[in-house]
Amino acid sequence: MERFATLSHAWMAWEGPAPAPEDVALDHTKELDKFLAEVERRAFRMAQVSLRDEDDALDVVQDAMLKLARNYSAKPSAEWRPLFFRILENGIRDLQRRRTVRKRWMAWLPGPKEDPDEEAQDPMDNVAAPGPDAPELLMQDQAMRQLEESLRSLPARQREAFMLRNFEALDVAETARAMGCSEGSVKTHYSRAVHTLREQLGEVWS
Amino acid sequence: MNEYPPGSIEERSRELFDASVEQVDMRVRSRLNQARHAALDVARSKRSGFFRVPAWTSAAGVTAAGVLGAAIWFGTPFVHQFSAPHPAPISADAQNLEDLDIVAASDGGSGDAIDMLQDDIDFYQWAADKTASTDPGSVG
Repeated sequence: MERFATLSHAWMAWEGPAPAPEDVALDHTKELDKFLAEVERRAFRMAQVSLRDEDDALDVVQDAMLKLARNYSAKPSAEWRPLFFRILENGIRDLQRRRTVRKRWMAWLPGPKEDPDEEAQDPMDNVAAPGPDAPELLMQDQAMRQLEESLRSLPARQREAFMLRNFEALDVAETARAMGCSEGSVKTHYSRAVHTLREQLGEVWS
Repeated sequence: MNEYPPGSIEERSRELFDASVEQVDMRVRSRLNQARHAALDVARSKRSGFFRVPAWTSAAGVTAAGVLGAAIWFGTPFVHQFSAPHPAPISADAQNLEDLDIVAASDGGSGDAIDMLQDDIDFYQWAADKTASTDPGSVG
């Protein structure tokens, strides 16, 4: 009888015909759209902090979005966040490695030592979206620059742990998945990062 | 939800980062928007590919149905009725039995037909003997 009771519960839980595959796909795409819209600007800012370059940051974020959609969009949406940031961090690290190699080769070549990819920036590109008052904005901007400088001075793994835990509010387990390391390592990296930032920014921000 | 102590480095960092996200310029927002739509197109095409029936399955289905149909058609006893339109030759014994049945059935089981048959045999015997005795020149 117990088996029948279970079956009857299952039957009662079923409230109608199963949704068509097209409807499921549409819902899934909407969910992915919502997720990407939620993280895209934050991911861009994180990439920008690490790479110091707007276009590189945009490329890395775009690449991460495409890879998530192509390879992991069928996974449950709860898994997207750590996966997305893992792809993003891998992209950032790859670009940093390529830059290091390029710089090494540039040092051997004659002529100007500037990066040939660096183009003159349009001043209008830096116009910020409307927001708080100018003085407050200026103070925020200055404080953020200090934070960015301090973050760039951190070892890459400490910076990743701090940004994922603090900026993205991932928990320790999610951060470990995003960084591809153990939870213990995340705790160590994060704690060292906070310690260094406190030393560097404590006096400036107080 | 803020899990950090007020005024801590962690809290201040988070606030500054959130504010800087809000200050991202229009050019970047537009490019991120384009990138998102490109990613959604990829996801959409991937999912429609997942639900689409591959082209080769229809051909395989038709072939399988054909093979099954042929197996049923040629594998059943009906084949003998349709593939052999001419009746098989009936043996002489079977023919005699059939004649006997007809003769026996024709008088409703009274036995008259058998008596008639017996009479005919006697008559033919007598006729043959008579011919042999009255026509001696015919022999030799």
